[in-house]
Amino acid sequence: MASFLIIRLLRWTAGLFLILFVTYGMMFYGAGDPIRMMFIQGEDFDSEDEVVMLALRKKYGLDEPFLVQFGNYLNNLFRGDWGRSIRLQVDRPVLDIVKFRLPISMQLGFAATVIGAVVGISLGVIAALYHNRWLDRLIISTVLFINGIPIFVVGPMLLLLLVLQLKLINVPYGWSGLFHIDAALPVAVISISILPIIVRQTRSAMLEIKSQLYVRTARAKGVPEFWIIMRHMMRPMLTPVVTTLGLVMIGLINGSLIVELIFNIPGFGLLTIEGIKKVDYPIIMAVAVVGTLIIFISNFLVDIIYPILDPRVRAQ
Amino acid sequence: MSAEASTAKRSRVIDDKSLSLEYHRSLWQDAARRFRKNWLAVGGLFIVVAFLVLALIGPHIAPYDFLEQNIMNAFGGFTVEHPLGTDDLGRDVLSRMLHGARTAALVAFSTTAISLVIGVLLGTWSGIRGGRTDQFLMWISDLIQAMPGLLLVILINTTLRRPIINWFDQLYEQTKNPFYLNTLWLDYVLVFSALALIAWPGLARLIRGQVLSINEEDYVLAARALGASEWHIMLRHVIPNALGPLVVAVTASMGGAVTFEATLSFLGIGVQPPNASWGSMLNEALRLWQVFPHLVLSPAVTIGIITVAFVFLGDGLNDALDPRRNS
Repeated sequence: MASFLIIRLLRWTAGLFLILFVTYGMMFYGAGDPIRMMFIQGEDFDSEDEVVMLALRKKYGLDEPFLVQFGNYLNNLFRGDWGRSIRLQVDRPVLDIVKFRLPISMQLGFAATVIGAVVGISLGVIAALYHNRWLDRLIISTVLFINGIPIFVVGPMLLLLLVLQLKLINVPYGWSGLFHIDAALPVAVISISILPIIVRQTRSAMLEIKSQLYVRTARAKGVPEFWIIMRHMMRPMLTPVVTTLGLVMIGLINGSLIVELIFNIPGFGLLTIEGIKKVDYPIIMAVAVVGTLIIFISNFLVDIIYPILDPRVRAQ
Repeated sequence: MSAEASTAKRSRVIDDKSLSLEYHRSLWQDAARRFRKNWLAVGGLFIVVAFLVLALIGPHIAPYDFLEQNIMNAFGGFTVEHPLGTDDLGRDVLSRMLHGARTAALVAFSTTAISLVIGVLLGTWSGIRGGRTDQFLMWISDLIQAMPGLLLVILINTTLRRPIINWFDQLYEQTKNPFYLNTLWLDYVLVFSALALIAWPGLARLIRGQVLSINEEDYVLAARALGASEWHIMLRHVIPNALGPLVVAVTASMGGAVTFEATLSFLGIGVQPPNASWGSMLNEALRLWQVFPHLVLSPAVTIGIITVAFVFLGDGLNDALDPRRNS
C-alpha cells in the first residue's frame, strides 16, 4: 500500500517536473526576450537601451544558459520567489498576484462543485433507479445535450435569457464576493459544465450496485427502499464518483478561463488570459505551475482516498 | 392486439428475408440498422453532413463578401438584404457565418487527421513493442490527458507563434520567396498543431488497447502460426477489427476540435480577425450584447447546434458499433 502511494507520488512528481521543463522551454524559446518586452511599450528604443538591456539581463540572470536559468527558476519557485510581473502589473511580485486571484476562482470552483455534486449525484441516482424508463432516457439525453454545448455558449445564452428577456437579474459584472447575487450566474454556468461527468459516473456506478446480492438481501429482510438506497447503496456508489475529481478539476479550470472572461471576474482564469495576451512570461509560467499543481494534487488525492473508501483496492 | 393483426404480423415475420439462407447481414449493416433506430443520432448525422456541405460550398453561395464593410449599416437587424443582420463594421453576418463554417470544418478535419496519424503510429508502436517504450509513451499520454486541455492549448499556441514567424522571416531573407511573407494561414496552422498535440493521446490509447486485445485472439495466433508477418497481421486483422471504436473516436475528435477552435477564437487566441470564426464572432458580439443581443444569437446558436449534433452522432455511433451492448 505504502509502496503503491510512493510509486504514484514519484510518477506525479516526475510528471510535474517534465511539464515545468517543457513549459519553461517553450517560454524560453517561444515567448521572446522578456527584457525587450519590458522596453517595447511604445515601440521605440534605441541603441542606448541595448546597453541597459544587457545590464538588466545580467541582473536577472537572463544571460545564463537555458539549463542554469531553469535550475534558478525552480530554486526560486521553492523559495517563494515567483518573479515579478513584467507587463500586466509591472514589477509586482507574481506570487502576490496569484495569491489575490486564485482564491476568487477557488471560491467559484468550490461552490460550483458542491452544486454540481448534489444535483449530479441526485440525477444519476434517479436515472439508475428508473433504468431504461422515460425518466432515465430524459436525464441521459439532457445530460448529453448539456455536455454538447460549450460553456462559452451557455453563458451568453443565459445572459440573454435571464437579463434581457426575463429581467430576473441585473447584469452580473466583476466580483463582489461569493454570496453576492452577481456570483450566481457564473457559479451556475460552471456547475452546469461539470454536471455531465458526475451524472454519468453516478448512474453507471448505481446500475452496478443495484444488482448486488446484499441489496437483494436487504430488500428481502424488509428494509424500506429509502434506507436501502441511503445505507447500502450510497457509499459504494460514491467511491467511483470520487475518481472523477481529476476530470472535475479540469472542468473547473477550463470553466474559470471562459466564465471569468464573460463576467469579467478577476480570478485565476482571467489572469491566465491577460497574462497570455500581454505575453507576461513570469505570469504565464506561474499560471502553468499552479494549473499543473492543482491537477496533480487532485489526482494524487484520488489515489490516496480511493483505497480508504474501497477495501478491495487496498487488498491488491 | 386483434387476431387479424397478429396473423398479419406473423406472416410478415415469416416473409422477412432475414430468415432465408441467402441473406446475411454484415457487422456494418447491423450497425446501420441499429443506428437508424436512434433518431437523435440520425438528426445529429443530418446536421453534421449539412455543416460539412455548407463549409464546402458556403463561401460560394454567401450573399456578400465576408470582408465587405459598410460602416453606415453597422449593427443592422434581421432584414431581407441581411437575414442575420450586420456586425460592428457593417459586414454581413450570414456570409461571415458561412465562412466560419469553413474555418471550423478545416480545423476539425486537419486536427483529426494529424492526431489520427500520430495516434495510430504511436499507439501501434506502443502496443507491439510493449515494455519500456509502452510505459514511457503511456506515461506521456497520461500526463497530457491529465492536464486541462484548454490551458495547454493556449500555452502552445502563444509560444509557437513567435518562433514560427521568425523562422519564416529567415526563410524569406534566404529565398526571397514571397510565400513566406503571407502569415494569414498561420493562425490555422497554430490551431491545428496545438489541438493535435493534445488530441493524439486519446487515439493512441484506443489503438494500443485494440492492438493488445486483438493480438490475444485465436485468429491472430492462427495467422501467426501460418507465418504471417507483423505488418500483415496489423493491416489484415488488427486495423479492420479496430475500425468500429476508431470511427467513434474520430467523430468525437472532430466535434472536440470544432469546440476547441471556437473556444480559442472566443478567448481571442485562435483564429484572428479578419478571418471569420464563430468563436471570435461571438466574442465580438458579446462586447455589446446588451444593446445588440441579436448578434450574439447566430454564432452562439450555431456553435451549440453543431457541437450537440456531433455529441449525439458520436453517442449513436458508439451504441450502434458496440455489438456487446445489443447482444
